[in-house]
Amino acid sequence: MISVRDRARGCLLGLAAGDALGAPAENLAPEEIAARWGVLTEIERGGTDDTEYTIFAATVLLRHGHALTSEDVARAWREEIVARLDGPMRGAGFSELGTVEALRRGLEPPLTGRWHAHGWSDGLAMRAAPYGIFAAGDPDEAARLVEADGRVSHTGEGILGGRAVAAAVAVAMTGAPPGEVAGAALRAVPEDSWTARNLRAALDVVARTSRPLRGRALPDSSGRGLHDSLGRALHGSGCGLHDSFGRALHDSFGRALHDTVVVRHYPWTDLAPEAVALAFAAYTAGDGEVEASVVIAANLGRDADTTAAVAGALAGAGRGEAAVPARWAERIGPVAGRCLPVVAGRDVRDVADEIVKGL
Amino acid sequence: MPSGHRQDGRDRLDRVRGAFAGLAAGDAAGWPAARHRSALLAGWARRLHRELDAFAEERQVTTLPVPFALNQPVAPLAVGPSDDAEWLAWTALTIRENRAEAFGRLAGRDDFRARISVWAALDNLAAGKLPPASGHDNPHHFDDAAAVRAVAFGAAGLDPLEDACVTNAEDGVLGAVATARAVAALTDGAPMADAVEAALGALPPDTAIGHAAREALAAARAAGSPFAAVPALDAAVLDHVYSYGVAAAQTVPIALALADAAVTSARRTPGVERVAVERPGVEEFGAERPGVERVGVERPGVERVGVERPGVERVGAEAFGAGVSAAACLAPVADSAPALTGALLGCAAGYDALPAAWRERVRTLAGCCLPELAGADLLDIAGRLA
Repeated sequence: MISVRDRARGCLLGLAAGDALGAPAENLAPEEIAARWGVLTEIERGGTDDTEYTIFAATVLLRHGHALTSEDVARAWREEIVARLDGPMRGAGFSELGTVEALRRGLEPPLTGRWHAHGWSDGLAMRAAPYGIFAAGDPDEAARLVEADGRVSHTGEGILGGRAVAAAVAVAMTGAPPGEVAGAALRAVPEDSWTARNLRAALDVVARTSRPLRGRALPDSSGRGLHDSLGRALHGSGCGLHDSFGRALHDSFGRALHDTVVVRHYPWTDLAPEAVALAFAAYTAGDGEVEASVVIAANLGRDADTTAAVAGALAGAGRGEAAVPARWAERIGPVAGRCLPVVAGRDVRDVADEIVKGL
Repeated sequence: MPSGHRQDGRDRLDRVRGAFAGLAAGDAAGWPAARHRSALLAGWARRLHRELDAFAEERQVTTLPVPFALNQPVAPLAVGPSDDAEWLAWTALTIRENRAEAFGRLAGRDDFRARISVWAALDNLAAGKLPPASGHDNPHHFDDAAAVRAVAFGAAGLDPLEDACVTNAEDGVLGAVATARAVAALTDGAPMADAVEAALGALPPDTAIGHAAREALAAARAAGSPFAAVPALDAAVLDHVYSYGVAAAQTVPIALALADAAVTSARRTPGVERVAVERPGVEEFGAERPGVERVGVERPGVERVGVERPGVERVGAEAFGAGVSAAACLAPVADSAPALTGALLGCAAGYDALPAAWRERVRTLAGCCLPELAGADLLDIAGRLA
């Protein structure tokens, strides 16, 4: 039996691990990742904005609970992000800096999320998980709360990406299987939306292509996971799983996913409908298992830190803290506050515990 | 309008041509025009340009490279119309067709250049995604590709919505509707203030484009003249965060504000800009007379004098130049803001009132984006709409 606290910790540890694992693969193509790492399975450096903004969102949510409003969030941004900026923002995406500029102009939500042209970004999806933990089992409430946050920095499909992730985490927190979790994401967004179309298309790709990890190397309960299997396969025989996994990712599965949801004539990778679709595809292809979901997401490239963070949050909520590979969890300590000085020193485990304490 | 029906028909043609030539002149005036037109040079010349750019960065050289011709014709790099004029012409030539079908014919091609919104829409159409999803599931749904095309719809008195939804959504569509409304009003002979009001009516204040339009108009009115408004517009409207300066929420408001300021400040400055009063019987006082400053409406039978008559507003070359030049000073949006400003002021002034050298220079399209339009006569294309 996995406790709510275990799931909450699994969710945020999975998110932080995905953020850190995916960070060096951000903006790379699957082929480039395969050429550089074979399969990227080891955390090389710390997490990024995904983890820090998630901690910030959780902190503001805990202050206001179900009464959270966009005005509360805007005030927190003003007092704790904008007021502390004495130079350029670091590690932020377009939507964060665009929001700061809007707030500096004295605008109020929802105009703060509309004024800049980056309301479609995955910046809300990346910080949506705490709403799902807080509203565990209540996807509608999780989506409502994340939208209150999102109106400060996002609009349109950017808000829908956040709704999909928050609602899905709320259902994953009940231990529901990946299909049900993905169904909750779809129910949280209008059927006639880019996010819904991309989610459906990505899940179709998962259903009709061979999944890269099916029948292979699923981790056992003692924590020996994909990495060990991969290591054995690679170093034992000199060929095998590592290569075939990489090939599978950038042959049928990865290529089909990219062809389906990646916009060919656009250079940036942080579109919410794309990132959310890739994250749910990885999570579903990984059968909801933490290591597989995160590794698949990170190796798909594009906004790899965010897609792996979202996949990790979904899988971690479903499988709990113990399912996060120990070698990854060991690398997740207090955040540096590199992107958001206000959260420096906070640990996602403590944040998870605080959210659960209020339930 | 004070003139009779026959005059009206002629005025209308003049204003439609003015909108097209004005857009093309603004298109040509912005710095990106030379980069678009350099598409007509060999690929290696553009590669050398990119390498020189890297060289300047690496060696900290402030002598920045410009598009250049080496062992190739230099004509593409002369001042002239580029992407926006060509897409406007394409729109006018296909305006009676089903829009998804017209775009669908482009979807299989790879020999043209277009904005991100247009390419993304064409990829969507090719994948079987029809409008409005083709414009909505689009990373640049907010850009002004449809607003530029909407100049043709406004000039023809047609609704731009169906066309806009192929490539854009939300602010991108609102920008198109606002632009078409303004151009339609001006084509009907309305004063600029009415055209601006018509455009504002299409832009809800709680949208980025509606908010920016009101901020831009206030900033430009406070500044007093288009050139004086440049720093205020930069501060009030431009988003220096994002990498592409073609958001409709920036370029359409700037065009409305600068067109408004150009007309308003011209009216306040006697001697610089005059308002024409029609006075039959002085046909010899015409546009072709050497040494006569081209202001006001220029056609036989009309004398231009510095008298304001209620209900009559004539925008001349000075106002046109002031508005377009100021838009071209806003470097991040100099690709399309001058073009949209030029369309509004050109429509208000009429083709005959535009500076002769610009009229000649922008008539012939280069084919730098749509190769089939190389050599096409923009004036002739505009005339078919009127």
